[in-house]
Amino acid sequence: MALLIWILQNFWSLLVLSFATLVGLRIAYRFRKYGATRAELSHILRRSPFYLVVLIFCFFAAAPFMIMFLHSFKVDGDLYRRPQPFVYRQDPTLEHLESLFTNTAYLDFIRNSVVVGIAVVIITLILALPAAYALARLTGRWGERAGILMFLVYLVPPTLLFIPMFRIVVMLGLKDSPLALIVVYPSFTVPFSMWLLQGFFKAVPPELEEAALVDGFNRVEAFLRVVLPLSLPGIISTIVFTFTLTLHEFIYALVFITNTSRRTLSVGVPTELILGDVYFWQPLLAAALIIAIPVGFAYNLFLDSLVQGFTMGAVKG
Amino acid sequence: MSLVELQGIKKFFDNVRAVDGIELEIEDGEFLVILGPSGCGKTTLMRMIAGLEKPTAGQIFIGGEDVTALPPRKRGVSMVFQSYALYPHMNVFNNIAFPLKAQSREKKYDKRAIRDKVENTARLLEIDMLLDRRPRQLSGGQRQRVAIARAMVTQPAVLLLDEPLSNLDAKLRANARDELKEFQRSSNITAVFVTHDQIEAMGLGDRIVVMSQGKIQQIGTPQFIYDDPANEFVATFLGSPSMNILRSEVFSFGFRPENFLPKTLADNPENSRIFHYYIKRVEYLGSDRLLYGYVHGHDNELTLAKVPSNVRVALDVDCDYEFAVHNSDIKFFDRQSGQRIEQQNLQGVV
Repeated sequence: MALLIWILQNFWSLLVLSFATLVGLRIAYRFRKYGATRAELSHILRRSPFYLVVLIFCFFAAAPFMIMFLHSFKVDGDLYRRPQPFVYRQDPTLEHLESLFTNTAYLDFIRNSVVVGIAVVIITLILALPAAYALARLTGRWGERAGILMFLVYLVPPTLLFIPMFRIVVMLGLKDSPLALIVVYPSFTVPFSMWLLQGFFKAVPPELEEAALVDGFNRVEAFLRVVLPLSLPGIISTIVFTFTLTLHEFIYALVFITNTSRRTLSVGVPTELILGDVYFWQPLLAAALIIAIPVGFAYNLFLDSLVQGFTMGAVKG
Repeated sequence: MSLVELQGIKKFFDNVRAVDGIELEIEDGEFLVILGPSGCGKTTLMRMIAGLEKPTAGQIFIGGEDVTALPPRKRGVSMVFQSYALYPHMNVFNNIAFPLKAQSREKKYDKRAIRDKVENTARLLEIDMLLDRRPRQLSGGQRQRVAIARAMVTQPAVLLLDEPLSNLDAKLRANARDELKEFQRSSNITAVFVTHDQIEAMGLGDRIVVMSQGKIQQIGTPQFIYDDPANEFVATFLGSPSMNILRSEVFSFGFRPENFLPKTLADNPENSRIFHYYIKRVEYLGSDRLLYGYVHGHDNELTLAKVPSNVRVALDVDCDYEFAVHNSDIKFFDRQSGQRIEQQNLQGVV
């Protein structure tokens, strides 16, 4: 606890210090490896502008997270005193973090979001895997057109659809239940995942499946035993992206569910922590940060395969 | 009775006639090579035997059974693909065991039986020390052996090979050709081998099927096809350099460059035809001299002669010589259809 307070109070100096240590270690390592020669020194000088630029970009990318982190622990007086530097003038506090977990339904939101997300991912995979495979393999000229047509569905914004969707949800008797979201979300996750998966499936050479067919399997088995394992990285990244799509969806979640404890993160957090024009900044930022970190990690891990999935479909098409 | 029988096989893609009426019988235990230029329909034909393509018309029989409508897995064939199509996510053992696993649903192989079969096949192809590796850790030649092992492990009725040597470098290829032939002979399997490489075809085939434009041009032993081409296409497609074709008003006639020799070297000049040959250029190929020139009266038709280097006859550029071809080495073709005309039918014309 005392350590956390100490870290927060000395945040910037610690940041600069740790960075300087890293740079120092790196230079020391190179000196040990290549000797502290003039050539080595000029090499470091030549490279330093490049790393400086990288550093600036890193700072811009990380700044929102740092600001969220810093502000989550400020007392009101410190937060609202202007000018607002990103340093602590009063002692940090855990009170807001506590109130996020005790006074709001934050844990419920997380649970609902995870349940909805997992259910939608499962439904999406069941529908999108065979559809994407069919588009990648079993059709001629019309296959591609059908694929584009289905992707167009993804481009119809929820702002146009939420009223008719709402009526359907009411008709099905699912209003105020996370089930409503589980039913509606696949309308955009399926076309998205299908397009993505199609790219990965196209990257698997058709000869491999033909080999499996000749080796004595039928097409479904060939798909399960050869195509699926080979596109596993693609399928995992599809799962990640489908999950994040459901996580940040706002309009449907707002309209379909009014009962607070049944809401998901994307709606629950802003409705609970913003009352009219009153923003409860510290818990709001903490709530955002807590879910942003794991999602950010997962996203970055699979960003390359996402880009790959889209371009593979495009280039090989 | 023949093992595989194709009756009137046709395959059209939209309006392209990829395979256009093939009648073919493949005998049990033979090594049959389908030879043709790219786009002649040879691979499509093989894919239809495998069941990967459905013929537009015609019937396919394997072992006397009509398999035209059957999927690949029910035909008792196996195939080696041009790219080998090894499963990259499995090691060599599992690659070879894969077809056995498919069969084990009916034949009930236990793990032990699968292991025995895989190891025996691997030993036969000398890849038993590679069983734990992944395909990407193998060289081209090793991949090819794994592909053959996978195709052989179930002891199929017919082994189909789609240009399996074309991804190997030239040095390995001659070696692989020899081993493949040896392997086929010792295992007594029926092999159908598709290639565009005439050297492979001549070297491997018990019989060769020459295909062009979706049609069979000629079927026969390599020697027979080389010596007695059925038409101009077969005559010029086989042989390197290819047969010289000279045109006259009603027919064309051709002779192979290695049969076109200086008159002084001809065995019996009285049974030969003599040409006045003007040499334009000479290439030394080590064992042979390759001459480029023109025969008198055919000034627009480049004619080649291949003279062994150990024949010490002066042959100079820009000079005229008398060259001879034995009458039996001259083949006559119809000018319109390109079909072969027997020499006796030309009495009086020549």
